[in-house]
Amino acid sequence: MDPLRAQQLAAELEVDMMADMYNRMTQACHRKCVPPHYKEAELSKGESVCLDRCVAKYLEVHERMGKKLTELSLQDEELLKRMQQGT
Amino acid sequence: LPQLRDFLLVYNRMTELCFRHCVCNLNYRLLTAREESCLDSCAAKLLHSNHRLMRAYVGLVPSLLQRRAADPPPGTARGEPG
Repeated sequence: MDPLRAQQLAAELEVDMMADMYNRMTQACHRKCVPPHYKEAELSKGESVCLDRCVAKYLEVHERMGKKLTELSLQDEELLKRMQQGT
Repeated sequence: LPQLRDFLLVYNRMTELCFRHCVCNLNYRLLTAREESCLDSCAAKLLHSNHRLMRAYVGLVPSLLQRRAADPPPGTARGEPG
């Protein structure tokens, strides 16, 4: 595949995945912060603050998961390499 | 690229699942030590369970396909695509 085309596809994929992450975050934070009693249209102060903190935490978790996944995948690769060298 | 897409989807699902289960205290912006520990365990557990599921699936699929070839499901004739 043409490297420029590959780069373009990778960029599109990143945008898609960020959109997917955003949708999941929205759903999760709405569930955690906005109880389903829709008595009024405006967000309460508590709900607003909760949502702000929720977004901050979600992004922190996203970063942490990424690092952990990379760390665990590298460990698995190392183990596989050692097993192959041993046979 | 399809593999990268799958990996990134797993990543997003893991984030959502572990966040829902481990993050309960929204009185602070930063993660607590308890939440961090829960998230690390959650990530490792999900990855290991993914590996195990894959191993089990890969082990079972050949016999499943063999059974289907020998005894196709109703509505499909032998030798015809169903």
